[in-house]
Amino acid sequence: MKPPIDINYVCALARLELSAEERTILAPQMVKIIEWVGQLSNLRLNDPGSEVFCPLPLPLPFREDETRGSLSVEEALANSPEKNCGFIKVPRVIEEK
Amino acid sequence: MNLTSLGLAELRSLIHKKEVKAEEVIQAHLKRIDDREKDISAFLTVCGEQALARAREIDRKKDPGKLAGLPIAIKDNIVTGQIRTTCASKILGNYVPPYSATAVTKLEAEGAIVIGKTNLDEFGMGSSTEKSAFFLTKNPWDTSRVPGGSSGGSAAAVASGEAVAGLGSDTGGSVRQPAAFCGVVGLKPTYGRVSRYGLVAYASSLDQIGPLARSVEDCALLTQVIAGGDPLDSTSASEPVPDYARALDRDLTSARAAFLGDKAMEGIDPEVKQAYVRGLHALSDLGIELVERDFPAWKYALACYYIIAPSEASSNLARYDGVRYGARDPGQGSLKEMYLNTRTAGFGEEVKRRILLGTFALSSGYYDAYYAKATQTRQFICRELAQAFREVDFIITPTTPEPAFKIGAKEDPITMYLSDVFTVTANLAGIPALSLPIGLSQTGLPLGLQVMGNHFREADIFQLAFLLEKKVQFENNKIN
Repeated sequence: MKPPIDINYVCALARLELSAEERTILAPQMVKIIEWVGQLSNLRLNDPGSEVFCPLPLPLPFREDETRGSLSVEEALANSPEKNCGFIKVPRVIEEK
Repeated sequence: MNLTSLGLAELRSLIHKKEVKAEEVIQAHLKRIDDREKDISAFLTVCGEQALARAREIDRKKDPGKLAGLPIAIKDNIVTGQIRTTCASKILGNYVPPYSATAVTKLEAEGAIVIGKTNLDEFGMGSSTEKSAFFLTKNPWDTSRVPGGSSGGSAAAVASGEAVAGLGSDTGGSVRQPAAFCGVVGLKPTYGRVSRYGLVAYASSLDQIGPLARSVEDCALLTQVIAGGDPLDSTSASEPVPDYARALDRDLTSARAAFLGDKAMEGIDPEVKQAYVRGLHALSDLGIELVERDFPAWKYALACYYIIAPSEASSNLARYDGVRYGARDPGQGSLKEMYLNTRTAGFGEEVKRRILLGTFALSSGYYDAYYAKATQTRQFICRELAQAFREVDFIITPTTPEPAFKIGAKEDPITMYLSDVFTVTANLAGIPALSLPIGLSQTGLPLGLQVMGNHFREADIFQLAFLLEKKVQFENNKIN
């Protein structure tokens, strides 16, 4: 049976790369797990409920739309892997031709 | 006096009466950590100097708070300002948060002291604390076995006397299962009862911070402090927090509890079954009316959970891209290559597995069959539970299908996922559930009983568990 999962496509979506060894282990495991969770298709529901579900048994509270204090620039950048002049530095986004 | 064997309530009383200094309490626990860590490995970070400095500060205060001087172990996915918080992941190996979680801020406001940050399965994804990127934690009752997970570090630290109590997080059983394996009490509160602000997100609709302690009373005292609404978490509930400690002494003779029949117990370890039956007899002796009940929807709970949790994880963990914080691949490639290489090197195998599973379940062409179906199933489970709670006050189950298993015994992921069979339902429905130790197996391993209640009925759960605790007297069992 064709596995229901294209592991290369899913890895690309998730921005992950698997080594050959990881692929050997993970790919068949993924197929098995997806088959296992697929048991939900056997469940016939009279009331499908809503597409969105919140486990809080109360209405979500709203707050006033007002500004509040936040981290300083120094605090916000303290864990940045690379920074320059108060900004986070990343590789060039628009590549040169 | 052995300060590390005393409970939170006892230590609190001694410190309040000035019979013991907070500094002495911290010193005793740091010594205990020194003695036990080579065998247990519960802590990723021990905050020795900071904790002692804080203890001295508390000893000088006139009104130092309800939890003054008490050493608390914090799971390392709960952020602590200026204390490294790793989630047991290489990708956050050097992360020092600029702020603390609301639960930690509340504990510290009452004088509690963070004694250290405890080990976990990476980002909370696991049931054994073997999936930490750094090292595994061992069960204090038998160091050849796992402490459970993912809050295995906090559970092991509390069980071995390295901390008087701890905080964990529970997404599918991650407080209750290690509590059961380590012979301590653990609560997953109602979704929204405790702020999630500063809890590093794994699956946001399931995650809750919960306490671990050596008695029901201690667990209730800790919950009292950390519970309540929080403007920093829009999913926290502003419902008033009852006085949980006072609730322990109320009468409970007219309560009804549902228990599981033989069919639901198929495949469960015989000693767990026996302990469960003993627990039910104890409840009956306490005057609780017991009602056998089937929960047909529960057989879908694990599959439902293992779609919803990874789906939410795949979205939540997208933030680890090497840009703003955490590790970054040092290569000189493009932005996309940096994302890819950072994530590939930074995440462990189980995290990758769950991200991939969630990405698949949310992907075009599969969303309806997997994620949407799981969301519908979740509501089906909730409706069944809501119906049950119209008829009973509690649902009683074992916490785990077996006692603590051997390190390395569960290499197959599905076999590991089955460890959560009794616990995931409470997370899916957002209801509170507590695990308390009910006895020991013949080989001396703790066995847990789970008490589930309706939303915001933590006080009732504590009350029932408190009565049961007095009846079974687990505290007479000591770790060798």
